[in-house]
Amino acid sequence: MSAEDMKRLFDERLGRYQAAIALKPTDRMPIAAGTNYFAEVYSGNTKQQTIYDPEKWLEAEMAFVRNFPELDALRDNRISGPLFDAVGCKTYRLPGRDLSPTTQFQFVEKEYMQADEYDALIENPLKFMMEVFLPRVLGDLAEPGSIRANIALLKGGMAFMQFGQVMQNRSIRLQQECGMPQSMAGAFLAPFDAVADVMRGLNGTMLDMFRQPEKLIVACEALVEEMVNFGLAMADPFKRYPIFVPTHKAMFLSPDQFETFYWPSFKKTMEMLIESGYRIRAYLEGDWGPYWHHMLELPRGTVICDIDNQGDIFKALDDIGHHQCLAGGVPDSLFILGSPGEVRERVRVLCKAAGADKGLLINGGCAIPYDTRPENYRAMIDAILEFGTHDSSLRLSPEVKDPAEGGHRALPAKMVTDWPSKREELGEILGDEQLIQRNWERLEVLAYAWLWQWLM
Amino acid sequence: MSELAHALRDLQEQKVYALVDDMIGNGVSPLTIVEECNQGMVEVGELFAQNKYFISQLIYSSEILKAVMAKLNPLLENMEKSESAGKVVIGTVKGDIHDIGKNIVVTLLRGAGFEVTDLGVDVPWERFVKALRESGAKVLGLSALLNFTYPEMQTVVERVRSADLQDQVSVIIGGAPCNEQVRQYCGADYYAKDAVDGVAICKRIYG
Repeated sequence: MSAEDMKRLFDERLGRYQAAIALKPTDRMPIAAGTNYFAEVYSGNTKQQTIYDPEKWLEAEMAFVRNFPELDALRDNRISGPLFDAVGCKTYRLPGRDLSPTTQFQFVEKEYMQADEYDALIENPLKFMMEVFLPRVLGDLAEPGSIRANIALLKGGMAFMQFGQVMQNRSIRLQQECGMPQSMAGAFLAPFDAVADVMRGLNGTMLDMFRQPEKLIVACEALVEEMVNFGLAMADPFKRYPIFVPTHKAMFLSPDQFETFYWPSFKKTMEMLIESGYRIRAYLEGDWGPYWHHMLELPRGTVICDIDNQGDIFKALDDIGHHQCLAGGVPDSLFILGSPGEVRERVRVLCKAAGADKGLLINGGCAIPYDTRPENYRAMIDAILEFGTHDSSLRLSPEVKDPAEGGHRALPAKMVTDWPSKREELGEILGDEQLIQRNWERLEVLAYAWLWQWLM
Repeated sequence: MSELAHALRDLQEQKVYALVDDMIGNGVSPLTIVEECNQGMVEVGELFAQNKYFISQLIYSSEILKAVMAKLNPLLENMEKSESAGKVVIGTVKGDIHDIGKNIVVTLLRGAGFEVTDLGVDVPWERFVKALRESGAKVLGLSALLNFTYPEMQTVVERVRSADLQDQVSVIIGGAPCNEQVRQYCGADYYAKDAVDGVAICKRIYG
């Protein structure tokens, strides 16, 4: 296929995916899982190879795209083993390191922030991260200022850049050699999850809701800008892809608690990202039935919601499918244990329920499982082509923004030492100041994002 | 329902502690205090079943209970145990290290008077069989969060069935990736859709 054909294919896929998210007419339902674990292991790689060997990982993805060319977007691994190792990150167990090479990575929850440390977090989130949180969560930084800790910071920065290059290279090669867009780029957390995942942990946060509710609320508010900043720092500069937000702890809350503790700061974070020209792909973990009506409060077609296995996709379609595009509908167990006939029937029913006026991308409960039977995945695609084709004559072109134009940002990029401060230190500048400033700020922005990635 | 059971049901943490301290001071038998707390926990489970409480309230109530038991445990030593509702062995299957759901089930089971052997996470089939043999429990609970555990759950069920425990043990599966299709695949006897459902199934088995 010529480069021109590849570009045409890329535009067609991206246009279809973007239109579906925006609830605009499409020629057919896109095939675009938020996360496709199946693609990682389809060609026989171990789960360890995916996170430790970028070449093997990319080879696996390309083989997958060749065999399933109907795919419209692909995104799978998001974890770099070397980056975690460089600083001794304690929040995940990794395949091949702490788990069998064929087992998936797993999150390990612990209270890295104590119940009486909210004031410190609220007063200065950056200082709290740097001085309190990171030395606890990154083993190699346990003794700040030591040679080992300083070297770990250095290695961590280098590994971060290295992983960034891996992701960029992967994105470019998938685009140029396979015509394949990404399902999403960049990520952030709901502020409540930022506290409840790796800071206070589930138990700690649940107790805080009863014992010190005000502090928890204020902490969530204090993290809004940090989450917006992190999301924007790692997002696609061309604004082609949605930014990912995996939600984790909402499912444990009563509707009242959700409205009090979870939603206000989450909504504000999403509004600021939307205002900055991005769409969002939200994984609604667990049963969001009691809460998903809140997505009606955000502009139409701005947040694609992945409905988990426990959620009722048909109810979600009824409740919010006219306002936001949904993804999901095929239970993980059906991909793993079911038959192609059962998958086909499920897709048929889902397409009928969505009709022409509700947004739906058929997917697993957030991800396509590792142990998916290939014939079931094929059956899903065939059935989507059969039942999810609306108007084959429709040609869609993608929206791509020029990063040079900048565009509106709801928030200036955060830095530890901004340019005016540095400028003052430098005194007279003899050449092109902008050239120096641009590079200074680029590294500052990345370093700032580096600090916050450890909440993810 | 006693005042203590009421206070625990209503999640009045400080009131629960004050009442327990008073009761201990007044020489009330620790077994009576445990019994009243268990009544409160049963009510909490009931409110959960009615969708009036959510997981956060279950976790909070179990934390309060934990603090009460820390006060009572020294007093309960050397005392005869109250009558058991039955024995249950439970754990998260091999490969999976998640335990939020399992821990909630354990708290509710203990609150309902069951003797629970909690094997923790990443439990291989051999440990399940050994614990069943040693405890004589008639119920085995298998917990999982990740969907790669289906074959492992199937293995545990097969091994339990082929051990010398034939027809004695009922296996319940639960957790996010479980459903009726998974139950059939694993050969388990029951699928519990949530923690309260799991306790109800244990009660039926021992009923």
